[in-house]
Amino acid sequence: MQETDHSVVRAVLAGDKDAYGALVRAHSTTVFRVAFRIVGNEADAEEIVQEAFLRGYQRLEAFQQRSGFGTWIYRIAVNCALNRLSQPGVEAEYRHGEENDPEQKSVQVAAQEADPERSLLSREISAAQEMAMQRLTPAEKTAFVLRHLEDRSMNEIAEVLGIAPNAAKQAVFRAVQKLRRELAPLRGNA
Amino acid sequence: MKHLSDDELIELYYGEASGGVSAHEHACRECSARFAELQQSLDPIRSAPTARRGADYGERVWESLRPRLIPYEKKTTGWRAWGQWRIGLAALGCALLLAATFIGGRYWERMTTTTKNTVAGNTARQATQRVVVVVLADHLDRTERLLVALEHANPSDRTDNAELQSDAQQLLASNRIYRATASNAGDPLLAGTLDQMEGVLAEIANNPNLTAADLRRVRNEMNAEGILFEIRVLMARKPDQTGGTNHAKGASI
Repeated sequence: MQETDHSVVRAVLAGDKDAYGALVRAHSTTVFRVAFRIVGNEADAEEIVQEAFLRGYQRLEAFQQRSGFGTWIYRIAVNCALNRLSQPGVEAEYRHGEENDPEQKSVQVAAQEADPERSLLSREISAAQEMAMQRLTPAEKTAFVLRHLEDRSMNEIAEVLGIAPNAAKQAVFRAVQKLRRELAPLRGNA
Repeated sequence: MKHLSDDELIELYYGEASGGVSAHEHACRECSARFAELQQSLDPIRSAPTARRGADYGERVWESLRPRLIPYEKKTTGWRAWGQWRIGLAALGCALLLAATFIGGRYWERMTTTTKNTVAGNTARQATQRVVVVVLADHLDRTERLLVALEHANPSDRTDNAELQSDAQQLLASNRIYRATASNAGDPLLAGTLDQMEGVLAEIANNPNLTAADLRRVRNEMNAEGILFEIRVLMARKPDQTGGTNHAKGASI
């Protein structure tokens, strides 16, 4: 797979723009998944996918063939998502919407699940988790998502975010502590 | 008993803790309860549903992305382009090598003929020049030593100053002869340096009451003019550079 990706990259750099389509098709789902987990919003996640592949194309000459294209585009996507979270207006708006309508996020996810049996309690827990996640800083949230949901090691997180491994670890620790505090009232109900 | 820290519990949760931490968690009821509490908080987040995309998602992304991409310029790719260059360079290299061999051969032939004719005549002259080189080198060497001594002299030490003065007087006399000869022989570099040296030597030699201030001034002038450096350059000239009459050590002194 990696060798194929590398030959496709060479073809793109030789002027075959359409060859890039193969890379987009192969890695879009993974990129979307991580983007959605970080920004928690489908529309934003889709924009991040577009942005990541566009940036990837523009910087393709800088792509080091030592790593796989998948890893490389993943990093770009995580950084695009982190940038999106870090934009001043975005998160404030996000949190504001969340506070006005605590179930907004859970409804979106619940619709995806199409689970008619989902209980009110479950929705409340899910909404509370979403809110707790939104209260993390962009860096904490990204580090936590990569560790907790994407199962990335601390070293990988550090590499993706361009920070020291210890800083990545501290970001994850802080995120977990905050989430524990936020979710403490729900532990009896879960 | 020291209980596990929150950070250790988190490391344990993610399977990154040491064996000791894990053993403690099993043995300690309090830490075990805290760990269970951590699991209760974090496990549900792991199982939170995520938005999914269908199999055609990649195609859709590509369709919307495609019009925004500008193709990279087509290059005459890889080894073909390099191959063409290589052939051109090799041809040029061969041509240059041929030309160099031809010219070199002609030059070598002329050189060897000329050398044979001149070797006999030069032998006697070279013997004389070797003596000149030794004499002049000795003079420059002594002058350099004097100037170095001057550079490091203690201006208040009268004994040292008297020695410097005596050496300078001896060198001044011979320096005049060498300078005049170099000038007549048309070697401006050697003549110029000897002239500068003569100024410094005269300053030291002809001042009956050489004071500390005088020494300092001479030393500053010497440093400013870089005389020591020039002497070293002259000293560094190889004997074979003295072949012509215009050269420093080849001047017929």
